[in-house]
Amino acid sequence: MGFSLEGVGLTHANGFRALRGVDLRIAAGERVALIGASGAGKTTLLRVLAASLRPGEGRVKLLDGEPWVCAPAALRRLRARIGLVHQSPPIPPRQRVVTAVLAGRLGQWPLWKSLASLVLPVDPDGARQALARLDLAERLYERCDRLSGGQLQRVALARVLYQQPDLLLADEPVSAMDPALSELTISLLNEEATRRGVTLVASLHAVDLALRHFPRVVGVKDGTILFDLPAAQVSDALLRELYAAEGGLPLVGGLRAPEPAETAGELPPLRCA
Amino acid sequence: MRAGLSFGGLLAVVLVIAAVAGSFAYLDMPLGALFTGAAAGEIADFVGRFFPPELAPAFLAKVGWAALETLAISLVSTVLAAVAGAVLALPAAGRHGVAGRVAARFVLNLLRSVPELVWATLMVLAAGLGPFAGTLALALHTTGVLGRLFAEALENTPPAPAEALAGTGAPSLAAFLYGTFPLVAAQWLAYALYRWEMNIRMAAILGFVGAGGLGALLYFSLSLFHEAEASTVILAMLAMAVVVDGVSAWLRRASA
Repeated sequence: MGFSLEGVGLTHANGFRALRGVDLRIAAGERVALIGASGAGKTTLLRVLAASLRPGEGRVKLLDGEPWVCAPAALRRLRARIGLVHQSPPIPPRQRVVTAVLAGRLGQWPLWKSLASLVLPVDPDGARQALARLDLAERLYERCDRLSGGQLQRVALARVLYQQPDLLLADEPVSAMDPALSELTISLLNEEATRRGVTLVASLHAVDLALRHFPRVVGVKDGTILFDLPAAQVSDALLRELYAAEGGLPLVGGLRAPEPAETAGELPPLRCA
Repeated sequence: MRAGLSFGGLLAVVLVIAAVAGSFAYLDMPLGALFTGAAAGEIADFVGRFFPPELAPAFLAKVGWAALETLAISLVSTVLAAVAGAVLALPAAGRHGVAGRVAARFVLNLLRSVPELVWATLMVLAAGLGPFAGTLALALHTTGVLGRLFAEALENTPPAPAEALAGTGAPSLAAFLYGTFPLVAAQWLAYALYRWEMNIRMAAILGFVGAGGLGALLYFSLSLFHEAEASTVILAMLAMAVVVDGVSAWLRRASA
């Protein structure tokens, strides 16, 4: 039920080589953080895992299916079981929150149900429950362009919670949120993955969040995997190498003193940047 | 750069003046005759025959029914055109491959480049006199116009929302209605309302070629030199245009 990538390489249409020889095997129910500098290939990697981008080289196996070998109908069924939280929420501004959340199950619903839901939302309670977990239940019938950036990101998260995918992917899901809210949201994603026993892969810009919340951390640099280690074994030297080009470690910053028992305890000296 | 007119600019002005003078000479327009005392009297006499407008209840009822017919023609033809235009706009915006795009654009260009009056003449020949021919004629031309405007709106729409939904396995119609349609709906509605305003004026004219409505009534009145009746019909057209402009402005505000 997990997934595996073997020798995956991908060159974008503009000639940019985003991924090179990526081998990654993640078992069902694992929770993994992807970290790395901007432009390292985290988003491309997540889109390959979401069966949205077809790699030029290598083999992709997702949830025991091979998305680029199977028939189009099977690919659609596979995609319906994968939920990706996008970096900038892909929600039309004039859409109501309830519709945006219910859209998470378009891949599972028959077409008539999706069409009927445009006229009268078929499952407002389900949408309300998903939003309630993100503290947004009272915004159910609001238009999305009335929300702040962070609120919109939470609506996008609620959509994926409502989808209930077997593989939960998130691309910088907290980039527009303040530190306290980021903390809560990442906890929620982990809790959801643990409760339902599904696989979670999230790319994060804030290293301390990644180390504190995820058992396994994968560092991506220049389209390759630099390290793939349990969070406790991620050393300062590795992090410095990972972010060498950026000149400093990105942290949520000023959040709270990290608990000494955790690996994040090693981090404060790195705040020099 | 020197102040004043450049040589090129001077040449352009001279050419325009020469073209206007040439056109007057060619058309042999007796403009001077418009400003003689006799002409003024004739003009006053001609305009005077339109007043007062014919207000007999029987004729007013006739005008009312004709106005309703014109309104119905414009409304039905615009709705038909909006639906057909939306269906053609999807391939025309390149969503079903290059061949579909070329074919859809060709059909839209063909529909649009034939004017409403020509379509109306053709439809009267094909479907007989009456409002049905007028509705078809307006719908055909408006489909061409709206299809092209809708396609341009689609091309300028960010694809990310629909792609994200397709990424969760949504069928393409559902992905379109949840991801793309909300982005273009307001603009499509504004285009359709604008064409409706134009169509109501056009529907009033189409009667001249036998396609029903107020135009037919105006044509009869003028042919029989019943200027007072014609005046009533023209006032009815004016009133209808004002009402439709108001309604469509209100709808646009409400949808914004």
